[in-house]
Amino acid sequence: VSGWADIVGAEGAGRGGPEDAVDGVVPAWVVRPRSVAEVQACVALAARERVALVASGLGAHLDVGGAPSRVDVLLRLDRLARVLDHQAGDMTVTVEAGCPLPSLAAVLAEAGQWLPLDPPRPETTTVGGVLAADLSGPLRGSQGRARDLLIGIRIVDASGALVAGGGRVVKNVAGYDLPKLHVGALGTLGVIVEATFKVRPRPEREEAVVIAAPAARAAADAARAVLDSDLEPLWLEVAGAGGIADGPGDGAAVAVGLGGIDEEITDARARVLELAAASGLGAVTVADGGGLRARLGGFATEPAAAVLRVSVLPTDVGDVLEAANGPGVRCLAHAANGVVRVAVADPTAVAPLVQDLRRRAARRGGLVVVERARPEVKVAVDVWGDVGEGLGLMRRLKAAFDPGAVMAPGRFVGGL
Amino acid sequence: MMAPALVAELRAIVGADGVVDRPEALLVYECDGYTLERAVPEVVVLPREPGEVAAVLRLLAAEGVAFVPRGAGTGLSGGTLPVAAPVMVCTSRLKRIEQIDVANRRVVAQAGVVNQWVTNAVRAHRLVYAPDPSSQPACTIGGNIAENSGGPHTLKYGVTTNHVLGVELALPSGELVLLGGAVEDRPGYDLVGVAVGAEGTFGIVTRAILRLVRSPEAYRTLLAVFESVDAASEAVSGVIAAGIVPAALEMMDALIIQAVEAAYGVGLPTDAGAVLLVELDGPAAGLERQVERVKAVCARAGSREVRSARDDAERAALWKCRKRAFGAVGRLAPNYCTQDGVVPRTKVPDIVRRIAAAGARHRLRIANVFHAGDGNIHPILLFDERDRDEVARVLEAGREILEACVELGGSITGEHGIGVEKMGQMPLLFTPDDLRAMIRLRAVFDPEGRSNPHKIFPDAKVCVETRSPRRQAAM
Repeated sequence: VSGWADIVGAEGAGRGGPEDAVDGVVPAWVVRPRSVAEVQACVALAARERVALVASGLGAHLDVGGAPSRVDVLLRLDRLARVLDHQAGDMTVTVEAGCPLPSLAAVLAEAGQWLPLDPPRPETTTVGGVLAADLSGPLRGSQGRARDLLIGIRIVDASGALVAGGGRVVKNVAGYDLPKLHVGALGTLGVIVEATFKVRPRPEREEAVVIAAPAARAAADAARAVLDSDLEPLWLEVAGAGGIADGPGDGAAVAVGLGGIDEEITDARARVLELAAASGLGAVTVADGGGLRARLGGFATEPAAAVLRVSVLPTDVGDVLEAANGPGVRCLAHAANGVVRVAVADPTAVAPLVQDLRRRAARRGGLVVVERARPEVKVAVDVWGDVGEGLGLMRRLKAAFDPGAVMAPGRFVGGL
Repeated sequence: MMAPALVAELRAIVGADGVVDRPEALLVYECDGYTLERAVPEVVVLPREPGEVAAVLRLLAAEGVAFVPRGAGTGLSGGTLPVAAPVMVCTSRLKRIEQIDVANRRVVAQAGVVNQWVTNAVRAHRLVYAPDPSSQPACTIGGNIAENSGGPHTLKYGVTTNHVLGVELALPSGELVLLGGAVEDRPGYDLVGVAVGAEGTFGIVTRAILRLVRSPEAYRTLLAVFESVDAASEAVSGVIAAGIVPAALEMMDALIIQAVEAAYGVGLPTDAGAVLLVELDGPAAGLERQVERVKAVCARAGSREVRSARDDAERAALWKCRKRAFGAVGRLAPNYCTQDGVVPRTKVPDIVRRIAAAGARHRLRIANVFHAGDGNIHPILLFDERDRDEVARVLEAGREILEACVELGGSITGEHGIGVEKMGQMPLLFTPDDLRAMIRLRAVFDPEGRSNPHKIFPDAKVCVETRSPRRQAAM
């Protein structure tokens, strides 16, 4: 295949190397389009030549998902990085997919606003990456996920056509909600080139209270007490043993994020401290709540052989924290969402632990996904696990939108 | 005509009392809340359980018969109008709340459960189902999911799609599939996300797993009175610009105020140009400061006064005015047509002026009661259906208002759906490539196009046109 340089310029097309590998698969080419039209031309060329492409931003999250069955072209969107239109009064923003989160945050901050999505590695995470990999962090506990904030999208489909869904207004039910199809789809239905979000006022202040617990169960109980109270925490993380290494105890702890105006925070802080005292637990206040949140959010990408993501009902979080216990295993959960991340240090421990947790979770309607893992670990496990009754429809969906199976083949559920 | 044998087989599935085919009884089903077009189905089927819905659809699949799903028939875009679909499948007997999980704030409800029942069932636990369309005492969960319904409190809490964790869908093939589920972060495409708002074109929703929210510790409900809609609109922009996210921010204009006051007599100022209903909620601490900020913004925009509900009874009275405003409109004219459009919130003053201009141009009275906080307008065009010229002018003015919404950067529907009403205006928002993608998606769920045909997409001609030339060329 030649012709990439004709589309994106000589400086934008090069041979792929080991540093461009997606789960160990090295692409033949790395291509960096400068415009949506160039993305369209690249995808159209790929379709004609039947070459497989994986879209990427800054490459910080390519370890999410299954290993691709093949990658001929890594399509890097880092040159599509503009904030196109921030309407502060409407609280919406339209941004190109390759825009890194800090650049977007800087624009929004000028108006006292934010896009409340806080994935790990924010400095090297692009808007397109957040959407394609459905990345989130502690803030989802009160602010929702990408799907809840995305109101419009433009994608380049497998034929090279530019397709829009949604719009630029916060409420809109005209036609199907196409934007949601691409959230978490890992680029298997098209290349995201532009997104419009609703944004929110940024809390004036953010602090946190960390409650130390003697064990995972006590931590989970303390988190439940917060959830069942009138408190409306900005975020709520609960850790099993070793989860919050720099916390006040052995790591089993609850971190309660508080945001808002002074009166709200002062009142909420007192209530959290009261709740902790009532359970006989010690607690400390952390003035830089945002800093602590960023550290906790980074848990998913801390060095490990694999990071598992266990989804259960919020009341079952304590059971998971207790079950996923042992040397080299650490846990941190979004308490309100019932999402527990389990970091496993020993590569040989991953497969047995996945199996055990899947068995336990399935009994309560839960599931386990291997969110990130080293390539050699991935080959030994089923990354996605049971996808449920919708898999047949998902196969048809993929066939309808990418009949040639050139969009990130193999990365998604069911080998799609 | 429907084959008598097919009707007999439908009876065998749903019971003798579950099939309606007497002409006079069928008249009830000739339209929903959108009354400008009417069509009578040949037969209405009322299954009692999700399994019966699937059995009905299997039978219809075998016979190649098209169908229209219907809940309570409160839709406002003609989404349940039977066009080229002889069978209507009504989910109103699927009315069980199957499971309430208080600790995890989840409910499993069958499609025919009325929206309000969900909140009634969990209120004692200080929980609510947040989407609250004005029709919530009647509209069903299945219908809410089909339309991705909104409501006043969706400004802060989000619309239906933000509160649905799982959907059981009877596909047009008759297969029952559970999409999503009770736990978050399920692997795979977000099929729940696209099934919500599909307007019945993917099959029939039979049950849903819904997310509940805890009712806030405290509320403050304010009524701000203005001399003009313009001034009130300015206050709306001011509140948003101040970084305040109220639970609800609703506007009523003079015509609505007068009608509502005549109907319910709660003491609204009938000489005002507009009122804003502002609700703030959350932890009690800090709420007072937000109230003061809202009052200051209103004062800057020229409010005559800002009243505050003193207790739950006063709050309830104010909300009754808002939610039953449409009912009061019956006092103003024999008929009315509610439009549903969206503009960016800062364009509310512009669209209100454009609405007034369209009314003047077409010699129509137009009342306004709408979700100002998210730019979702609901002009109510008053008319007398016996006056055919006036009906034509209503349609024309409605079209102009929607075109103005699009010009201002908005959308042709915020919560009522496209249905049959707005099919023709889809090209204002979407290119042929965009529409092709949607039609392709529909075919994933309904390859034969038998579930709620002739809805959403402009017309059959478009379907023919959109047989992707690109894909044929590739093959």
